[in-house]
Amino acid sequence: METLRTLFPASNFALLAVILGLPLLGAFVNGVFGKRLGKEGVRAMALAAIGGAFLFSVVTFLMLPHAAAEGAPAEKLVWNAWRWMSVTGRMGQSIPIDVAFSVDAMSATMMLVVTGIGFLIHLYSVEYMWEDPGFARFFAYLNLFIFAMLVLITGDNLAVLFVGWEGVGMCSYLLIGFWFTDEKNASAGKKAFIVNRIGDFGLILAISMLVYYVGSLTWNGIEANAGALLTPVKIWPIGNLSAETLPGFLAKILIPAKPVQVYASTLVGLALFLGCAGKSAQLPLYVWLPDAMAGPTPVSALIHAATMVTAGVYLVARLSVVFLLSPAAMATVAITGVATALFAASIGFFQTDLKKVLAYSTVSQLGFMFIGVGVGAFAAGFFHVFTHAFFKACLFLGAGSVIHAMHARIHDVNKSQDMRNMGGLGRYMPITRWTFLISCFAIAGFPMSAGFWSKDEILWKAFSNLPLAPPASKTVPMWAWPANLGPAIYWLGILAATMTSFYMFRAYFMTFHGKFRGWEIVKGWKAPASHGHDDHAHDDHHEAEESLEGPTPRESPWKMTLPLVVLATGAAFAGFLMAEPIHIAPLGHLLEPVFEHASKAMTEREGAKGLMWPMMLPGLGAFLAGTGAAMYVYLNRAGEPERAFAASSPRFYKLLVDKWRIDELYDATVVGMVDALADIFTMADKWIVDGILAKLTAGVVALLGTILRAVQTGRVQVYAASMVIGLLGIGWFIVQPHAAATIDDTKLKQNGQVVLAAAPGLGYSYLWEGPGIPPAKDYSPVNQLSVRLDPGEKKDIVLHVRNAFERETTTTIPLARAGAKRMGDPGQNQVPEVRQLPTGPIPGERIQELLKPGGFQ
Amino acid sequence: MSATDFLFAIWPAILAGIVAAFVPREMSPRQRVALGFIAAIGLASVKWLWPSELPAVVAEGAKAPEEWPHLLNLIVGLPLVGGVVVMFMPRQLLSLVRGFTLVVMAAAFLASLGLLTVPMTAGWHFNYSKDWMPGLGIRYHVAVDGISLWLVILATFITPIAAFASFGSIKTRIKELCIALLFLEGAMIGAFVALDLFVFYVFWELVLVPMYLMIGIWGGTDRIKAAVKFFIYTMVGSVLLLAAILYLVWANQKLTGQWSFDYIDLSRVVLARPAQMLCFWAFSLAFFIKVPMWPVHTWLPDAHTEAPTGGSVILAAVLLKLGTYAYLRFSMGLFAGPASSLAANLAGVAVLGGVLYGALVAWKQQDVKRLVAYSSVAHLGYVMLGLFGATPSGMQGAVLQMVNHGISTGALFLLVGVIYDRRHTRQVDEFGGLAKVMPAYATLFLIVTFASVGVPGTNGFIGEFLVISGTYVSERLGVFGGIHTVGAAAGVILSAVYMLGVVQKMFFGPLTNPKNKHLPDLTPREALALAPLIVMIFVIGFFPGVFLDRMKDAIDMHHSQFKTVSGQAVLYSDEKDAKLLPEDVFSPAFLDGSPSRMTGPKDAEPHAKNDAANGGAK
Repeated sequence: METLRTLFPASNFALLAVILGLPLLGAFVNGVFGKRLGKEGVRAMALAAIGGAFLFSVVTFLMLPHAAAEGAPAEKLVWNAWRWMSVTGRMGQSIPIDVAFSVDAMSATMMLVVTGIGFLIHLYSVEYMWEDPGFARFFAYLNLFIFAMLVLITGDNLAVLFVGWEGVGMCSYLLIGFWFTDEKNASAGKKAFIVNRIGDFGLILAISMLVYYVGSLTWNGIEANAGALLTPVKIWPIGNLSAETLPGFLAKILIPAKPVQVYASTLVGLALFLGCAGKSAQLPLYVWLPDAMAGPTPVSALIHAATMVTAGVYLVARLSVVFLLSPAAMATVAITGVATALFAASIGFFQTDLKKVLAYSTVSQLGFMFIGVGVGAFAAGFFHVFTHAFFKACLFLGAGSVIHAMHARIHDVNKSQDMRNMGGLGRYMPITRWTFLISCFAIAGFPMSAGFWSKDEILWKAFSNLPLAPPASKTVPMWAWPANLGPAIYWLGILAATMTSFYMFRAYFMTFHGKFRGWEIVKGWKAPASHGHDDHAHDDHHEAEESLEGPTPRESPWKMTLPLVVLATGAAFAGFLMAEPIHIAPLGHLLEPVFEHASKAMTEREGAKGLMWPMMLPGLGAFLAGTGAAMYVYLNRAGEPERAFAASSPRFYKLLVDKWRIDELYDATVVGMVDALADIFTMADKWIVDGILAKLTAGVVALLGTILRAVQTGRVQVYAASMVIGLLGIGWFIVQPHAAATIDDTKLKQNGQVVLAAAPGLGYSYLWEGPGIPPAKDYSPVNQLSVRLDPGEKKDIVLHVRNAFERETTTTIPLARAGAKRMGDPGQNQVPEVRQLPTGPIPGERIQELLKPGGFQ
Repeated sequence: MSATDFLFAIWPAILAGIVAAFVPREMSPRQRVALGFIAAIGLASVKWLWPSELPAVVAEGAKAPEEWPHLLNLIVGLPLVGGVVVMFMPRQLLSLVRGFTLVVMAAAFLASLGLLTVPMTAGWHFNYSKDWMPGLGIRYHVAVDGISLWLVILATFITPIAAFASFGSIKTRIKELCIALLFLEGAMIGAFVALDLFVFYVFWELVLVPMYLMIGIWGGTDRIKAAVKFFIYTMVGSVLLLAAILYLVWANQKLTGQWSFDYIDLSRVVLARPAQMLCFWAFSLAFFIKVPMWPVHTWLPDAHTEAPTGGSVILAAVLLKLGTYAYLRFSMGLFAGPASSLAANLAGVAVLGGVLYGALVAWKQQDVKRLVAYSSVAHLGYVMLGLFGATPSGMQGAVLQMVNHGISTGALFLLVGVIYDRRHTRQVDEFGGLAKVMPAYATLFLIVTFASVGVPGTNGFIGEFLVISGTYVSERLGVFGGIHTVGAAAGVILSAVYMLGVVQKMFFGPLTNPKNKHLPDLTPREALALAPLIVMIFVIGFFPGVFLDRMKDAIDMHHSQFKTVSGQAVLYSDEKDAKLLPEDVFSPAFLDGSPSRMTGPKDAEPHAKNDAANGGAK
């Protein structure tokens, strides 16, 4: 250990490079050389890469520097790889962004979960995917995912985290659409990526705002300067929108008397949370996760249950310092969490696809985690991530094991996952059944199981915590938590927990108890020779479903059951790592320094003191009620009450089965609107933009050409005729006299003298008339006239012109001189003052103000 | 350096070469060696260009490496002279013509790498100037700084790839093709390095001719119409540009009594307000058409759809950058006042008309090439947004995004060309499930798609990230900065929508069209053409510092100058007369490039004063 410490000092912890590099190497080798390595080679590479990463993660975990003394900030293990780029901050300061990684207690725990559970799922997948033609590709993606996930959790700044964040999204896209020949899977992958991108949009905004306000993206930097986020920001009216720039009636509606201001911390918190909601499938962006079950089951277990989807919770916990500065953002997180928990649980009630039930239960459990981090119980929320990873991975792998068994005879993806085709499997698959049951107990919150400790802790904290309002400026009031919000979340959480235990045990009883409904079990049944193991063959022989016969369902091989057993053990006992009520909390102690500031920003609500043990009872009641109801309905009555309910209120039942038709709602509103907008733009581009700029101008030129071409006939007569017409015109012009004069008033201001000069012409002679001009008798060739004007005087000069043909014409030229005003008149005499500029650069803030006085617009 | 030391220094490159040589499953040894070579070169160049503290220490004592003044002449001249030489080659000797063309282009690329050997400090490098028409003050004046450096290298990097790919698919009039390509390359590089507005204008127009011929001769069915549209559109802008150049030169002559077309001399002129505005629009309209920005973008989809693969690649990768580069250099450099006061409005056009509109229209395209063309409109919207925002990181992001777009869109056009050569259609509906028959092709397409979408770890992300974060902090955009940021970030969603949409339609789902059942996968030639681009996608994604560090000083200087000059210009200019800005507004490094100063005796005294005056500008 000492050698390791000297080899990898905390400030240059290059061991992280190995942990990150191994999965990346695995991905590269499997992806590029996979076909040539053969399945055994791929298996060895993939397992070695993740296994190695796990071992080194354990070493890292053991090497975590302990908080030297109370109150001292715990050191991190840091590895600074290279300078990535630098961005410009608020006052033009340069903010470096490094490719840097760091590990503290939270990320080290996460690393263990990712590599540990990742390894188990790799092991499981070796068996599950053995027959698949894309075996190498699958493991390349899976290794790449582990790499991206490790980048996400070890990244030392938001930008590096974002690399992992999008990286896992990309791997998720690739893995959901793994069986890409099915259009449905490819669409599900695309949907996942795009919905995640909506979240990423928020995250990018948050990063931009943090760059501006905080001036740093590293965890330490954000923590140190987060106070700068307590600046009020005007969010409405936006831009230069104001009562003056809008028509009256709109201004009345849109422009409030006082501009709407919120704190930057709230904006950043909400933008961050949008990112988290996308990745962690919260309302309203949860829609991708159920569809993501189109991927292979181990993928669902690893990515869409245990690791990736919890990244949002991780991020909120990691940036807890930002959220603590905005009670409004925290309340949004908590309320979204509890709403999602309830909503997803209600959908989970009557789903028949086993994986879909688990998917909605994942969404619901993620809601619980967000309740935790939303009410300021960051450690508890993170602990639920930890325990959930065990039992949900176990549940998914158990489901995979069941589906694997069902594949013996049913190859259609949907049918093999339908619980209506299962039942009674407990008899044939004991290991799967028991591990599944243990995990069900854990998720339902059976006392002393993992889920019990974490969920109970979250709900208790929701009940008892009250976030303290951060110090705010006087002009903009800081939103504060209402006193009864906490208890409301608590009771709604209890309701969601009841629903959870109901639908989880419904799934358990439907799958493992009762009579097997998949096919007629025939002892010693042999598969037809032509039969291959292909997940996507929509074989015709399933049409005759009634008479389907098949072998006894078999338990899966050890490579699949071993991970189940390990995970179930974790699901049973992992809770004791942080069982706060009975004061056994090694993990809690480890996490304490990470969330030190968080505990300072929280206070216990009045009236919650001493209620910890009593408030456990509703949680226990939720477990008993949910489980008991499920047992009664599905074990004792074999699902009869559900059918009765469906018959009595069919529309409501159908609505629940159809997931509240939220997908359809989105299609009709958001997607439809964007689609229509795109159609409009495309049409406009073709007919308006291109039409006016290219087709219309070309048309005008062509039209002119056509007109001119009509004249260019090549007939001499036509040309001669036009020549004659032209000559006539010119002749007419010459015969007419034209009276015009140029006025030279350069001396007008000095002495009032104006010189008029009449335009010359063929044989012109001139006659000037006007006040103060000696009257002339006849026309004379003098074409110049000098007139004097007194200040304020006006004169009308009349000019007569006669030409060589004795034709005459007349024009009147008005002259005026400005009135005598007092000297030093600002409008007249003052030379415009050239403002002296500061040499050198002008500070940016002043540019707008300097622009305005004499600006261009 | 002994042999073992040398081996030790380059072992990672050798390793990368060996690994890459094993990547393809079915290729001849020669092609394996080529692929390995590309990988090794890629890694070696990253190592070589890696920003390290060492040179800075060395620079203290030792003199900076000598700049060979004729290097730029060589880079510009090689393709042009090569084009003339090809004219005199017998057209029957196809391999000679092709080989010679590639050799000339490779030589130009190697020569352009020579630009990297000097530390790219602020100011002009490889400055060369020679009187051309002294009576009118026209000089052949070329130089690079950290901004044009990368665009020159982009041009010399992409053109050989495009030529190499073209030789695979074009079988007629090879000699003419080679001449067009060589002239095109020379003209593009010339436009990037020219500092004399007259020379710039000559190169700017010269670019049009070979491109016009390429679309018109080797294009698709509607090629003549597209070529004419391309030519006329660009010409309209160019004529305005010429008029504005002449006006500016005339104004400068009235002020100083000397004729000069030199960019550095003309930078000092502040025109009267109306003239300033008109000239700014005349310049910028020419550039916006080239970029292209909404609403003058509609020539691009037509030109791209009809152009041959090689033409599309050069058009997208390099030609469009002429517009963005010229805006950065000339519009912002010569008319800082209007460029600054109009920034917020123009940025609005870039976001709405470029990033969002371009993406939405791209989504609805049925022709893959049209789709990529509209995606270019969206990507260049980011570039222009970075330039309008005018923060150091936004401008760095914009310049990097120019290079990125060149690489990823160039690769996309190559990839579309691959499928077009096989099926002679680009309609998305004709495809589906291609990943099954062409796995390597699908993989590369996916990688390039992710680069285009801007997934972190690829080049696209770095550019977009710098631009978006630069937009939010921009003072130039004032109260609109926040809205522009939201719009630009929303473009991130839309880019995923349209790119993944087309990927799904082309590659996933069942293989329904019987014509696609037996398509061959990538040929070695296609793979080799794509390999350098794929390498660069990841190099820029992970090590952008290699690029950003070299452009940083130039951008900082350009930025601080833009900031100062725009402030001065607003206050100096009046309604009637043009004025000359005092010299101390500019950084001495900038003015040093002027030929009038280069010849005169260098006076240390005023420089020191200028330095003091500009101390705050850095």
